[in-house]
Amino acid sequence: MEMASEERDDAAPLSAEASMELIERERASVGRRLGVNQAPIFAVWGVAFLVGWGACYLAAPGGPRVLPVWAAVVIVAVLYAVAIAVPIVLGVRAGRGVRGPSRLTGAMYGWSWALGFVALAAINTGLARQGLAPATISMLWAGTAQLVTGLMYLAGGMLWRDRVHYALGVWMLVVAALSVFAGMPGDFAVLALAGGGGFLLWSGLSVVTGRRR
Amino acid sequence: MSDGAMPDLDPVIHAQARLRVTVALAALPDGDRITFPRLQSLLGMTAGNLSTHLRKLEDAGYVEVTKAYRRRTPVTYAALTETGRRAFTDYQAAVRALLDGPGDREETQ
Repeated sequence: MEMASEERDDAAPLSAEASMELIERERASVGRRLGVNQAPIFAVWGVAFLVGWGACYLAAPGGPRVLPVWAAVVIVAVLYAVAIAVPIVLGVRAGRGVRGPSRLTGAMYGWSWALGFVALAAINTGLARQGLAPATISMLWAGTAQLVTGLMYLAGGMLWRDRVHYALGVWMLVVAALSVFAGMPGDFAVLALAGGGGFLLWSGLSVVTGRRR
Repeated sequence: MSDGAMPDLDPVIHAQARLRVTVALAALPDGDRITFPRLQSLLGMTAGNLSTHLRKLEDAGYVEVTKAYRRRTPVTYAALTETGRRAFTDYQAAVRALLDGPGDREETQ
């Protein structure tokens, strides 16, 4: 009595309980693979902030100066690049084979990050050329990079109607303001501890809530 | 269909394989469609099995299958139709009604 697999599927009687279970199991499994897990993304950003801005603090004039400035700049740039790449890779992988409005939204969101940071680099470089003091330049970069990051998280929260995501954006804006008022090199310490710590806390929150987008 | 009677479960959806396909398609954001191979890998079904069930869902008007060409290679997309989304919502409501319906729960076997 061999039957083709599709016939067998049809023949198998499904109780209401089994059906409900199947719906829930399947929804969770599909959601896990179509959605982007936020926890590793926040974790990567948390490490980038903690280590990157921590290195800047250690290198800054007026701070412990245990690291050359160029090394700190390289560390921040590399860690930021990694932190930007991770969500792109995860997003592309989750979105494989899916077409439609949500892809457009995702692509526009990704480009907004890139465009925001390119514009920020142009503006800050231009301002720095007007003869700003080195301390002002570093605070300008730290504060504005944080401002763009915070705004992007607000946008992400709006896009995916995710309060946790939005709240992280609010916290990042607070950190941006605090960092500038902390002066040099306290601004780096604020970014490393409050910014990096915030990301790590939200990474933990995302694990607990299991929220994906 | 009369009021008060136990709701019947839509036979198009009420089969393990088609229920899984429906849940997967319903998980897509509104207006999105998914390629056949990705859907197949999400569900772990054979191509033959999946296309059989997609056809049954398509015949019922629950799924829209479209073909497009990307670099001369045909790509098949599947998406739940408005009717399909509604049918799935009704199906879930019917299952829930069966589960917490009044005492006389007469299960098929």
